[in-house]
Amino acid sequence: MNPQLPNTLQQQCFYNPNDHMFANHSALVKPDPGMDEYWAGLHAGAFSDDQLGYGYMNPNPVAQPVETDQALFVQGNSSSVSASVSPKKRKGQSLQVVSDKEKKIKGCSEGDSRITHDQNSNSKEASNNTSSKDKSKVSEVQKPDYIHVRARRGQATDSHSLAERVRREKISERMKYLQDLVPGCNKITGKAGMLDEIINYVQSLQKQVEFLSMKLATVNPELDFNIDNVFAKEIFQCSTSEFPALGCSSTNSAYFQLNSMDQGGISYCGLDMGINAAEMGLRRSISAPISIPDQTFMDSSCYNQMQPSGVWDGDIQNLYRMEFELETLIPFQSHQFTGSNEGINMKTET
Amino acid sequence: MHTSSKLTKEFTKKWVKGLQICCSSKKDMDVLERKKKIKLCADIALASAKNATTSWSIALISEAKKNDENEILVDNLLGPESRFKQQKIIRQMNSCHKRVRSKKILKKSCSISQRMKKMGPPKSNLAAYIAKRLVKKRTQVLQRLVPGGESMDEFSLIKEALDYILSLRVQVDVMRNLANATEVLNQSNSSNVFD
Repeated sequence: MNPQLPNTLQQQCFYNPNDHMFANHSALVKPDPGMDEYWAGLHAGAFSDDQLGYGYMNPNPVAQPVETDQALFVQGNSSSVSASVSPKKRKGQSLQVVSDKEKKIKGCSEGDSRITHDQNSNSKEASNNTSSKDKSKVSEVQKPDYIHVRARRGQATDSHSLAERVRREKISERMKYLQDLVPGCNKITGKAGMLDEIINYVQSLQKQVEFLSMKLATVNPELDFNIDNVFAKEIFQCSTSEFPALGCSSTNSAYFQLNSMDQGGISYCGLDMGINAAEMGLRRSISAPISIPDQTFMDSSCYNQMQPSGVWDGDIQNLYRMEFELETLIPFQSHQFTGSNEGINMKTET
Repeated sequence: MHTSSKLTKEFTKKWVKGLQICCSSKKDMDVLERKKKIKLCADIALASAKNATTSWSIALISEAKKNDENEILVDNLLGPESRFKQQKIIRQMNSCHKRVRSKKILKKSCSISQRMKKMGPPKSNLAAYIAKRLVKKRTQVLQRLVPGGESMDEFSLIKEALDYILSLRVQVDVMRNLANATEVLNQSNSSNVFD
């Protein structure tokens, strides 16, 4: 009825963009671009789920705040993750009650309009709530030290409960990401249960690390096999990027090609000039029948086929003393391997 | 996942480097020592692959540095130019610890005084009270698990746990692949010997 209601209903509090908060606490925790991509990607999908309809008319179009939210997503480096607020309480109040509240809220707004949040300063979140008719509307404010929150209809408006709500919403949003990350968490909705699953998962991962390091310790008598394998890996990556015409790329999955393209910064492709023709021929014959699974860029069958050659990465200087030892092995092993390629292929792929 | 492939490469590179440094220093090690070295290298490599963007990695590295004999390893892995950055960050983290700790003390004293005032009806809200207790206990456990977690509030703890889980996954994948590869290589070598 009164078109001005939604505006006056809302208290004058706003979320603060995270960038300013970040700047305050210096370079303590910098946004991790890898994580942000993941989160932003996740969140873009989750965002649309939270648009709920209310019976209350809002002169502000629903589309508008959504666009601002998504515009923030598009920003390259900004670690903006919006808080998708799902309204926990839906009160079907009549407009009469609303008008009463309006007066009350108006009165409170002057007093309790600012909240300072130092402890939330490390958060990566931007300033947004989702839009719905009587949900809080968001705009960005330049002031660095404040988090501004809009009160929702029918909820308490003093600063403490608003702060609490902000905190809770952030936490629940994070919990959603964790649900996607931790396997088997889709059914669990409570915080305590989620935390339980997270704890179990972290513990199991840590135990796996322990177990695997023990396994590596027993399998390698002197830790030098690591080097061979690693160089096999490196050479493999190298060879696929250096000799794409060998037919390797035809068997590569898109993922692997992406991988080899990513190597721009890593100087694995510094092939030593001491490659002799025999080694190159060997590598070519070996790299052809390799098929790479989509999952990882390391496959155990690859190691079997690749031979440690005399090619060293220029970065790793202290391996040159191993070079002598390996070069004596190479002619022996290469001779063996060309014959038994297929056999090994069969063995490892079972 | 594409976003983790970068991390995987970084981690692998650094881990191998660390292992080389390790095995170049000592020749004879028994299994347990080797395992410890491997795990240590892996942890430090993982943390440094993050390049000081997350506080759990900083905490991990600072813990490793406390042990003197690891210091050389850590410094070599991190690289000379990042050393100053690390020190600066560690200093900042220490100050942050103090801030968080003092805030926690303040909070506790406030909440205790509030609780004394409103002794109200604790039984009516028993379920909520129990739920809160459970959540609190679990966050404590999580704090102990995630490196550097004691000095974080709940929200950043969850964020750090998220990142930590991703990195742990990467670590496990790389280690598992290497272990499998080494095993297969050993098998093939031994079979070749017998041929």
